[in-house]
Amino acid sequence: MLIVLLIQAVLMPLLFFTLAEAVERNLANAFLDDARLYARFIADSIDDLDFELGQDVVVEHLDSALLGGRIVYAALVHNDSVIASALTEPQEFDRFREDFEFGEHGDETYYVSLPVESGFQTGILHLGFDETPAREHFDTVRKSIVYALATYMLSVLIAIGYLSSAVVRPLKWLQQASRTISSGEVDKELRTKSSLVEIQDLTADLEKMRSKLVGMNAQLQQEIMDREQSETERRSLERYLRHAQRLESLGTLAGGVAHEFNNVLQPLLLYTDLALEDLPADSPAVENLKNVLTLANRAKGLSQQILTFGRQDTEAEFELVNLTPVVHEALTMIRALLPATVDIRADISSDIGDVRCDPAQIKQLLVNLCNNSFRALSASDGYILVSLKEVIVPRKLASEHPKLRDGEYIVLQVADTGVGMDPQTVERVFEPFFTTQDVGQGTGLGLSVVHGIVVRHDGEIILESELGKGTQVRIYLPLADEDGREDKGKRDSDG
Amino acid sequence: MAKILVIDDEEHIREVLKQVLERAGYDVCCAADGKEGLELLAKQGADLVITDVIMPGIDGVATVQKIREKFLNTRIIVISGGGNVAPQEYEPGAIATNAYLASARNAGADRTMTKPFDRRELIDAINELMKEE
Repeated sequence: MLIVLLIQAVLMPLLFFTLAEAVERNLANAFLDDARLYARFIADSIDDLDFELGQDVVVEHLDSALLGGRIVYAALVHNDSVIASALTEPQEFDRFREDFEFGEHGDETYYVSLPVESGFQTGILHLGFDETPAREHFDTVRKSIVYALATYMLSVLIAIGYLSSAVVRPLKWLQQASRTISSGEVDKELRTKSSLVEIQDLTADLEKMRSKLVGMNAQLQQEIMDREQSETERRSLERYLRHAQRLESLGTLAGGVAHEFNNVLQPLLLYTDLALEDLPADSPAVENLKNVLTLANRAKGLSQQILTFGRQDTEAEFELVNLTPVVHEALTMIRALLPATVDIRADISSDIGDVRCDPAQIKQLLVNLCNNSFRALSASDGYILVSLKEVIVPRKLASEHPKLRDGEYIVLQVADTGVGMDPQTVERVFEPFFTTQDVGQGTGLGLSVVHGIVVRHDGEIILESELGKGTQVRIYLPLADEDGREDKGKRDSDG
Repeated sequence: MAKILVIDDEEHIREVLKQVLERAGYDVCCAADGKEGLELLAKQGADLVITDVIMPGIDGVATVQKIREKFLNTRIIVISGGGNVAPQEYEPGAIATNAYLASARNAGADRTMTKPFDRRELIDAINELMKEE
């Protein structure tokens, strides 16, 4: 814009002078032609007059020429005498000057000399033309030129103003907007108030680009999130599998130990039994042998618990059961087993479907979990909450726990407000013989047994714990379908 | 007097079962593995065979199959230590003895029991099987 103004500033005077010059030259030429023509006309009118005798007539002619208004001086020189018009104003004239150019000598008068002949008489006609009207005409024309140029200049300025507001500003704004977008801020929608179609199109194109960018951005972010999500899922799955593998190998180990153990226990039990039979009732050995029998039976119980964890014990009879009464019975038992001061709350839904299970094992599982919760409760405050309900397992949970599938489950939960566990402990709680109790206080088999039972029931166990807050154990048992069989087919088709 | 053959690779189990069964009034003979047991059975015959399932050589399941080839009326009780075992030293992985017991039942065993059982359980099981005859 500035450059346009600069060009104008240089161009204007140039244009003015050129134009003025041309017009002036033109007018001057016209003036000269006119003057010469008029001079010739006067010369013709005094031709054939007798300059000496007809002096008066000559003067008359000259006077009338002066009266025409264009001539300020008229004289005829004949034989060194000057016949001049009396109307010539009393001022000094360069009487016998001969001008060639308009405005020569700067005295506002243009002198023309013409030879005139009358018979044998010759003379020279001197005429002085007034240049003032022509000069005035020049000024008028010059003013017109100035006006015209000024008007042009003004319209140029107006045009520049308009362009700058209608084109340059929106363009500048668009430039700013595209810089903002390239710097990463893409959230603001682009809209123009400009009435120029080109600007509107440009804005629309830019807006299209921006919204595409926003879409791509969102898509990328979504992809990143998806990737992170699947990475998290993969990691938790890995951890899950590692955990499951460790538990399985521990189960195998424990199962092998239990096998050998049972082969030792078998003769131990029977020999003792036979020996007891052989002894008289009052023998001092009887009491000791009875103790041996009791201890061997305890060892048998332990071995069976280990096998429950290792999933290797004899097949239990699974039946279609509604867990509501089972859990109620177990709670009655637990309340009898634990001190009366323990606050055991229950939230048992009775409107639930059946599961295929061994009710005795479910009771065992609940007793073990409540026993653990009881041990986690400090002093007198805190409570144990046992709840039972039917749920639909969401996809996310199922993806983190491969044993779970989308679908209906019965959830048996035991939660306490006890001391809780740190993550390292949580990691190992299901391992057989892992215990946080003092030596001799617990066998470290309680949760292993629970785990074994859940695995045997094709269920899943999820344990969450926080130090100082408490622990929640949720047992998911698959809901049996209406035919009474577990939903195996559905699982297979679900892939 | 009903005759019982006990097959087990554990000497103490053979010995204690022999004592228990003799006191219960049975005529008992013992074998340390499947091969010996089958030879004994062919030679002397038996009304009931009690065999361990995990044994070197001919294991319990094979023993049951062989017995059933010739002796349809002989009652068979298969006993197992429970848990799991690696079936052979060179074979990796552990197999639950439950699987063996199930195979033994399929092969024709009348009853399976998991050690350790007490005297009463064993005698009850034997009496029940003998009564069916």
